[in-house]
Amino acid sequence: MEHGGGHDVGAHKIGVFLGMTFHLDTLFMTWITMALVALFVIGCTRRLALVPGVAQNIVEMVLEPIMSQIEGVMGKKGERVAPIILTIFLFVLFSNYIGLIPQMVSPTADINTTAGLALMVILLVHIFGVMDSGTKYLKHFFTPHPLFVLLHILENCTRPLTMAFRLFGNIISHEILFMIMMILAPFLAPIGVLFLGLFIGTIQAAIFTILSITYIAGAFLDENH
Amino acid sequence: MSIFGSCLILSFAAVGAAIGDAMVGKQTIEGMTRQPEAKNSLLINMIIMVGLIESMPIIGAVIAILLIFANPFLK
Repeated sequence: MEHGGGHDVGAHKIGVFLGMTFHLDTLFMTWITMALVALFVIGCTRRLALVPGVAQNIVEMVLEPIMSQIEGVMGKKGERVAPIILTIFLFVLFSNYIGLIPQMVSPTADINTTAGLALMVILLVHIFGVMDSGTKYLKHFFTPHPLFVLLHILENCTRPLTMAFRLFGNIISHEILFMIMMILAPFLAPIGVLFLGLFIGTIQAAIFTILSITYIAGAFLDENH
Repeated sequence: MSIFGSCLILSFAAVGAAIGDAMVGKQTIEGMTRQPEAKNSLLINMIIMVGLIESMPIIGAVIAILLIFANPFLK
């Protein structure tokens, strides 16, 4: 079955460069997704008006819930964090959707992409924590009792692991389901599976974003956290 | 042998996901009956909760698929 360039689900086109192995199909689809996200946002923010037209309305529909979530969780410090969170959301959303097109494979169907995104979010947590509170951030790992640092270490190992595997597992299991449906009932039944893919893609992008917001908000050591 | 193990993993994962989602759904529907105005807010929170609850069974499913297709114990 032709999918992702004629491979089984989970097999990637391998390229070797300077001794490092690359998954060429994932790289290529990542570039295409990046271009699509950039074109979508730039194209929809031309001619901004107070009463939005169709394109601006779509972008505002995406932005509004995320901005309200950021404001609700982080308050005023959310303004610095909003661009990266919105970029993460749009990238994951477009990656999940692009796998539904017949000859293409999602970049997020590769554990390397999702692991990279999850590690980036965890690094952002610590970077924002140090930028905001300095040494008080490093000291907060040892309050209220020095043994709490073990809990923090466990937390920092579990969070990127579950974020990466949740997104990867959802998308790859949908790809496998689609492949099996195409083998069993080739003509009209896979349309339902494609709708399920839209649903799952949206929800997983939203969950990834909400978790990123929650983790970054936990790094700002506000008193009411 | 790993096929047997993979089947066990997937069955327990499915049961776990079903029970977890059912608990969340039950409380959501009860909340919606008590206060129909909160329907949208409860629905959105339920969808998010289901996505989070199903993450563990899906991680189990990924391990099961790994055991079948790309088993690291077989050469």
